Amino acid sequence: MIHASGLAKAFAGHVVLDGLSLTVAAGERVALLGLNGTGKTTLFRCLLGQLPYEGELLIDGLDARRDGRRVRARVGYVPQRPPHFYGTLGDLAVFFGGLRGLDLQVVARRMDHLDLSLEDHAAKPVSALSGGMLQKTLLALATAAEVPLLLLDEPTANLDPRARREFVRALESVSTDTTVFLSSHRLEDIRAVADRLLLLHSGRLVFDGTIEELEATARAGSTLWVGLSDDALERAAQAFASDPRVVRVRRNGSRVGLEAASAELPGLLAELDDLGLEVLDLRTEAPSLERLLAGFVDEDAS
Amino acid sequence: MSLRTRLRLFVVRELGHALRARWFLAYSAIFLVGGLLLIALGARDTMLIGYRGYARSLAGLVHFAVLFVPLMALFPATAAIAEERENGTLEYLLAQPVTRGEVFLGKWAGVALAVVLSITVGYLLAGGLAVLRGVPPRFVWISYAYLLLLALAFVSAGLAVSALAEPRAWAVTIGLLGWLALLALGSLGAMAAFVRWGVPSAALVGWSFVNPVEAFRIGLVALLDPDLGLLGPLGASLAARHGATRILWGTALSLLMWTAVPLALGASGLLRRRQGV
Repeated sequence: MIHASGLAKAFAGHVVLDGLSLTVAAGERVALLGLNGTGKTTLFRCLLGQLPYEGELLIDGLDARRDGRRVRARVGYVPQRPPHFYGTLGDLAVFFGGLRGLDLQVVARRMDHLDLSLEDHAAKPVSALSGGMLQKTLLALATAAEVPLLLLDEPTANLDPRARREFVRALESVSTDTTVFLSSHRLEDIRAVADRLLLLHSGRLVFDGTIEELEATARAGSTLWVGLSDDALERAAQAFASDPRVVRVRRNGSRVGLEAASAELPGLLAELDDLGLEVLDLRTEAPSLERLLAGFVDEDAS
Repeated sequence: MSLRTRLRLFVVRELGHALRARWFLAYSAIFLVGGLLLIALGARDTMLIGYRGYARSLAGLVHFAVLFVPLMALFPATAAIAEERENGTLEYLLAQPVTRGEVFLGKWAGVALAVVLSITVGYLLAGGLAVLRGVPPRFVWISYAYLLLLALAFVSAGLAVSALAEPRAWAVTIGLLGWLALLALGSLGAMAAFVRWGVPSAALVGWSFVNPVEAFRIGLVALLDPDLGLLGPLGASLAARHGATRILWGTALSLLMWTAVPLALGASGLLRRRQGV
């Protein structure tokens, strides 16, 4: 579905994409992860044929530079921040659905599928809609035409936790035939949506694999924060300090944090039980993007 | 989906935007009231001084139009693309199956139609009344066509500025400053140049055809008053050199060029603006 080879893009001498090569097969669900300014949005804009670039970039066999309009007819897009549209929700559906040759009924059905009633909200000004509702509307517009490729550029970045959960749930209803290419900062969204993860750093691909493989490669994983009594705290810290499954042991007040690959967390819980420690509370924390990236950046530096 | 269908979608969207923004209705109302006032004054003058009374009052309409029609066109046109860029909708729009050229053409067609409708509503009512009062329909139709040409010229110029300048406030300011410059460099500016620097009259005549504000004014006055007496010595010189018919066609051609050239420049500017949106 996507084939990039030696893709390069610079703005006023500043290199944003640096000879990027990647392939995404039809039907795959791929997440693009990277810090701000690493080229995620630039890559998406190249995919949409909005920017000139060097190298080769094919979408469904079409060159994004030469066949921009035909490429965009095959791509549904949800931006990071919903634009300030004017008019009503009905106007929005008629215009943007119309540009894709869609009948309003088709858009309305797709919106219904995402728990949005166009009939109820058609006369509502778009400016009166919540961010979550607007992003779901854009998702409905992006998928109503049953496009083969869906580009989601950090679609949950500006949503509150509830709206984010709803958006991610809405994504689950996207046809399995559709290739989903999602860029995000949030590992929990990626975990819910994507099977494969691409890590972009300084315009280059530094990792291609699953989240578990990334955690293992980066020697960074989720942290299991365990609330314990004072003496139990010391025993736990000592017991896990030499455990090969645990990447790092941290302490924070009456809690000990055990950082390990996500798959190892149930085993660590069992180990706590075997040690006979009374667990007062428990929570897990996903690894930060910076933590996951640290290994790759260090490797670059060396 | 055909280009025609895509353009129709843009036109419907822009018309809806114009109606919601209320400028469409406000401009139509101002145009209607202004037109009716001038027609009423013309009818009074006709009773006093005969047929020439129409010419005088319709010349008043020319001055009113020179001030008002470019503003009617410039405000929505200069904001059109700059506003989309500022709101983030242009980037989203360019992620849809449309080209930059189609976006520009669609915006132009939508804004142009909204402005044309606004003029039509106001002017045809006033013009209809003028015909009932005895003004030859030919005057009304030709002056209506001239008004549309003037409006389209400024829609094109405004949209070209909008494609190239940002933010919206800056685009609108550039448009208005351009219009003020054309006004200042009109007949008074030409006279000043003639007196102060001795600019040859041929250059002044040429400039009168190139400046869209002057072209509109001279063309319409030629229609009402073929010897161009209303324009003073420059008008008399023009009439003697070219004749009213050539002046009419020449000024209409100038306004058409002012529609076509900025349209091409604006579209090309948006097409070249590939690093941003």
